[in-house]
Amino acid sequence: MTFDFSVTRTLSMAKKEVRHILQDPFTLAVALGFPLLLLTFFGYVIDFNVKNIRLLAVDSDHSRASRQLMEVFESSQYFKLTAAPSSGQIVHLLDEEKAKAVLMIEPGFGKDWARNRTAKAQVILDGADNSIAGTILTYLSGIQAAALKKLSGEEFRQTITLKTRFLYNPELNSQWFVIPGLTVVIIGIISILLTALTVAREWENGSMELLLSTPVRPLEIIIGKLAPYILIGLGAVVTVYLAARGLFQVPFKGNHLLYLVACALFLGTTLAQGLVISVVARQQALAIQLANITGMLPSLLLSGFIFPIESMPRFFQIFTSILPAKWFMVIIRGIFLKGAGLLDLKTPFIALFIINVVLIFIAAKSFKKDLEP
Amino acid sequence: MIQKIINRIFKNDTLRGFIRKEFIQALRDVRMRMLLFVMPLIQLTVFGLALSNEVKNIRLGFVHAPNDIVAKHLADRCFASNWFIRPRETNGDAFQWIQSGDADAVLVVPPGGLTKSIEEGKGRLQLLVDATNAMRARSVENYVQRILIAYQKDTVTTTANPDRFSLDVRVLYNPSMETAVFLVPGVMVMILCLLTIILTSMALAREKEIGTFETLISAPVRTWEILVGKTLPYFILGMIDVPLIIAAGMVFFGVPLRGAVWEIALSSAIFIATTVSVGTLISTMAKNQQQAMMGGFIFLFPAIQLSGIMFPLDNMPAVLKIFTYLNPLKYFVTVLRNVMLKGGDPMVVWSNVGAMAVLAAAALWLSFKRFHQTLD
Amino acid sequence: MNPDFAVQVEGLTIQFGSFTAVDDISFSVKKGEIFGFLGANGAGKTTTIRTLCGLLTPTKGHVTVAGHEYKEGDLSIKKRVGYMSQKFTLYNDLSVKENLVFAANLRKISKSTHEKRIKELFAFLGFTHSDTTLVRDLPVGLKQELALAAATLHNPEIIFLDEPTAGVSPAARERFWALIRQLSAAGKTVFVTTHYLDESEQCDRIALMRTGKIIALDSPAELKKKTFPESLYELEPMSGQSQSAILSQLEKIKQSGAALEIQPYGMRYHVIVKDSRQWDLVKEQIKPTFSYKPTLPSMEDVFIRLVEGVDR
Repeated sequence: MTFDFSVTRTLSMAKKEVRHILQDPFTLAVALGFPLLLLTFFGYVIDFNVKNIRLLAVDSDHSRASRQLMEVFESSQYFKLTAAPSSGQIVHLLDEEKAKAVLMIEPGFGKDWARNRTAKAQVILDGADNSIAGTILTYLSGIQAAALKKLSGEEFRQTITLKTRFLYNPELNSQWFVIPGLTVVIIGIISILLTALTVAREWENGSMELLLSTPVRPLEIIIGKLAPYILIGLGAVVTVYLAARGLFQVPFKGNHLLYLVACALFLGTTLAQGLVISVVARQQALAIQLANITGMLPSLLLSGFIFPIESMPRFFQIFTSILPAKWFMVIIRGIFLKGAGLLDLKTPFIALFIINVVLIFIAAKSFKKDLEP
Repeated sequence: MIQKIINRIFKNDTLRGFIRKEFIQALRDVRMRMLLFVMPLIQLTVFGLALSNEVKNIRLGFVHAPNDIVAKHLADRCFASNWFIRPRETNGDAFQWIQSGDADAVLVVPPGGLTKSIEEGKGRLQLLVDATNAMRARSVENYVQRILIAYQKDTVTTTANPDRFSLDVRVLYNPSMETAVFLVPGVMVMILCLLTIILTSMALAREKEIGTFETLISAPVRTWEILVGKTLPYFILGMIDVPLIIAAGMVFFGVPLRGAVWEIALSSAIFIATTVSVGTLISTMAKNQQQAMMGGFIFLFPAIQLSGIMFPLDNMPAVLKIFTYLNPLKYFVTVLRNVMLKGGDPMVVWSNVGAMAVLAAAALWLSFKRFHQTLD
Repeated sequence: MNPDFAVQVEGLTIQFGSFTAVDDISFSVKKGEIFGFLGANGAGKTTTIRTLCGLLTPTKGHVTVAGHEYKEGDLSIKKRVGYMSQKFTLYNDLSVKENLVFAANLRKISKSTHEKRIKELFAFLGFTHSDTTLVRDLPVGLKQELALAAATLHNPEIIFLDEPTAGVSPAARERFWALIRQLSAAGKTVFVTTHYLDESEQCDRIALMRTGKIIALDSPAELKKKTFPESLYELEPMSGQSQSAILSQLEKIKQSGAALEIQPYGMRYHVIVKDSRQWDLVKEQIKPTFSYKPTLPSMEDVFIRLVEGVDR
C-alpha cells in the first residue's frame, strides 16, 4: 500500500471546515460560551449538602419535654421547623409538597418521660427522594442521641469520639467536586455533538458525492474535518480550566502536562466517536440523537460524575469500563484535587488509551468503507 | 369551542398533509423508528438499573493491632453494614492508602490501641476520608458516626437509659428508599424532552437547510398552519412514547402509579406541547440543523440541571431559583413524581400544569411572532 | 393596472442591509408570454423572482402579479402563481406520489381534484416510473420535471421557474423546454431565469440583468438587431487547412482593418463587418481557406457585447 497522503489537500479540507465554522459565528460562540454557561449553572446550582429541611412539628402534648425535643431539632441546623396547628391532614401536607418531614408528638409524651416509661415521638418522612430521605435518616440518629442527652439533662458519656479529616477537600466544597468532573461532561458533549454533524451534513446536502469525485483521500477528509474541532475542543478545555481556577477557586495539585495529555487523549476518543456516528447516520437528525444516547447521557449519568459507579450493580460497573468518560473522570479528579501522578493513574490512562486506539480504528475503517466502493 | 378548534385542525388539508409527510419522513428509516420507540425503553432500563445515589461499597481501611478488641468489633460492625467493603491491603501508611486510590477512607486508632485508650477515658478515632467526591465523603462520615453511636448504645451503660426515648420513623411513598422509584420519573422527563425538543427544532431547520422551506412558504399557507403542521406530528410521536415509557417504569422498576391516569395524560400532553413549542421557537431562530441543535442544548442543559431531576432545588441561590420558574421540566417532574408516588394532589397537579400551559402559550406566541413567511 | 399584463413591476428596489440587490427596475410581462430573465450569478435574478412570488419584501416600488398588488401577509398572489425555486423543491426522502400529494395538501386541493390532476400531469410529462419511487433515486432531469409538476398542480396563471435546468443534461434540458413551450401554448405565463444563453433564444422576450439593473429588454430577434446593426458572417475552415494557416489568415484580415471584430465560435469564427462593401474586401482575403455564410448573432454574442458595453 502506498501512503498517499497530501498535506496540502488536508489543509484545504481543514480550511473549508474552518470557513464553515466561521461563517456561522453562532456555532463558534456556542462551542466556547456553552462550557461557561454549563459551569456557572452546575457550579452554583449543585449543592449536595442537605440543609434547611422543611419539618412540620405537631405538638399535641405541650409539655416541657415536647418543647425540649423540638428545640433539639431546631438547634441541629438541619431542619427548619414550622409548627402545625393540628394533627389532621398531616400526610396531605406531604402530598402537597409543603414539607419534607413531619414530627408528631402525641399527648402523654411528657408524662411518659416523667414516669420513666419510653417516651415515643414519630417522624414521617417523604421518601420520594431516597437520597434526601437517607440523609435525613442519618441526621435522625444523631438527633436521637442529642435528645436523650437534653431530656435527661445528663452528659451522655461518649466513650469514643470521632474526628474526621477530609483529605483534598477539607471543607467538602461541592464545587471542588463538581467542576473538575464537568470538564469531562463538557468536552464529551461539545466534541461529540459537533463532529457527529460534520460528515452527516455533507451527505445530507449532497456535497459528499462532490468531495468524492475529487482526488481527496478519505484520511485527508477525516483529518481535515476533525482538525478544527480539535482546536475548538482544546479551546473548551482551556476555558473550563480557567473558569475552574479563577471563578470557583478549585485548587489544581497535579501536573499540567499530564492534564493536557489526558484531555487530548479523551478528545481523540470523543471526536472518533462523533465521526463514527456521523458516518453511520448520514442524516443530521439521526446523528444528533445517536450522539445524545451514546455520548451525552452516558457521560452525564454513567461516568460517575454524579451517580457513583461503585453503587451500580456489578454488570454496570463492568459495562461502564467501555465508556471513555468513566476513565477520564477518574483521571481528572485525581489530577485536580489529589495531585495524582501517572503512576497512580496508570489503569485509567491505559484504559483510555486502548479505547482511543480502538475508536479511531473503527472510525477510519467505517469511513473508508463508506467512501470507497 | 374545543370542538371547533379540533375540527379546524383535523379537517384542514394542509395540516393533514403535514402530519402525513412528517410521519413518513420520520418513520421510513428503520433506525429512526428504533430511536423513537425502542431507544427510550433501553435508556430507561439502563439508567434505572444502573443509577443509584446511595453511597455503597465504600472501601474502608482499618489500621489497628490484632489484639485491639474494641477496634476489631467496630471493624466487624462496619463491614457487616453493607456500606463498607475491605480495600486492597497496602504497605504504606493510611494517607498513602488513599492517595493511591485503593481506599476511600481509613479509620486510624490512637497509638496504643482503641481498647486501651477507652479504658483511659479518652477514646479517640480518626477518620481519613478521600473528599474528592464531597458528596460521598459526607456520607462516609455519617455512616461511621451512625455505627459508632449504635455501638456505644449497645455496649456502654449510662445512667440515662437509652430506651427511655425513641423516635419512630415512618418513610412514606418509597419505604424501601429505592433510587429507581425516585429517579425513573425524572429520567422519563429527560428522555421525552430530549426527543421532542431536538426533533422539532431540527425539523423546521432541515427544511431551511435543504431549501424546501422556500417552496413551503411560496404556497398560500398561513403561518399557524406551518407552525402547527410542523409541530403536531412530533407532539403525537411524543404522546405515543409516554405510555411506553411509563409502562416500562412500572413493569421493570416497580414504580407505583398511585394517581389517576388522566392526570398523567393531561400533564404529559401539556408538557409535550411546551417542549415542542420551545423546539419550534428554537427553529425559528436557527438557519440550519447545527444551529438548531446548539440552540436545543442551550435550553436543555440548564433546564435539566434546574429541574430537580438530579439535584435538589431547595438549596439553590435565590437568583437561580427565578430560572426554575421558567422551566417546564421542573413542573413536569414535580407532577409526575407527585402523581406516580403520592397519588396526585389536585393542587399540585393543577398549579404545575397551569404553569406549563402558560409557558407553552408564551413559546408558541413568540414563535408565531418570530416566524417570517419571507426570506429576508 | 393593465389587464393584458400578468406581471407589472415599477421602480422595484430590494436592499439587504446596505447591499442593493435589485436597483430600481421596471418591466411588465404579457399574459401567455415566455419571459426570460438572463444574467450572471448575483445579478439579482433570483431576488427579483422571489419578490414576485411574495417571498421577499420589496424595499421600494410596486409589484402587481396576476392582477393583485403585493401586500404583506396577503395570500392572493401566492394562490395564483406556481414557483419552482433554484434549490431542492422536492423531498428526497419521500416518494413521487407523496411529494405531489403534500404539494396538493399545502394548497388545499381536494383529493378528487388532485388525483385527477396528478394523472394529467404524469401524462403531460410522459412520466412512466412507479409513483412510489423515492425522489432521491431519480435522475436530476426527472426531478426537475416533477418539481415543475408540483409547481403547476393548482393550475396557476403564472409559473415562476428559477434556473430550472441548472445541472441538467442537454437532452433533459431540451425536454424541459418543450414542456415550457407547451405550458405557454396552453395560455400560461412562464417567467423563467437562466444563465444558459442558448436557452434564452426560446423566450418570447428577454430581460438582461446586470448588478441589479435591467440593461436590455426585448425579443431575442430585436435584441440581436439592436445590438448588432452590422453584418455578421460565419467562417468555417475548409477541410485540410492547418491551424497555423487559419490563424495567419485571420491575422491578416485583422491587419487589413476590413473587419470590425473576429471572434472564435466553436470550431468556427464570427466576423463582424460594418457593411457589404467591407465584406467584399474580407471575402477576397479568405477565399482559399474558409467557406462562409451570413448569419445572425447568437445570444452569447449579444450578451458579451451588452455586458462589455456597460463595462466600457
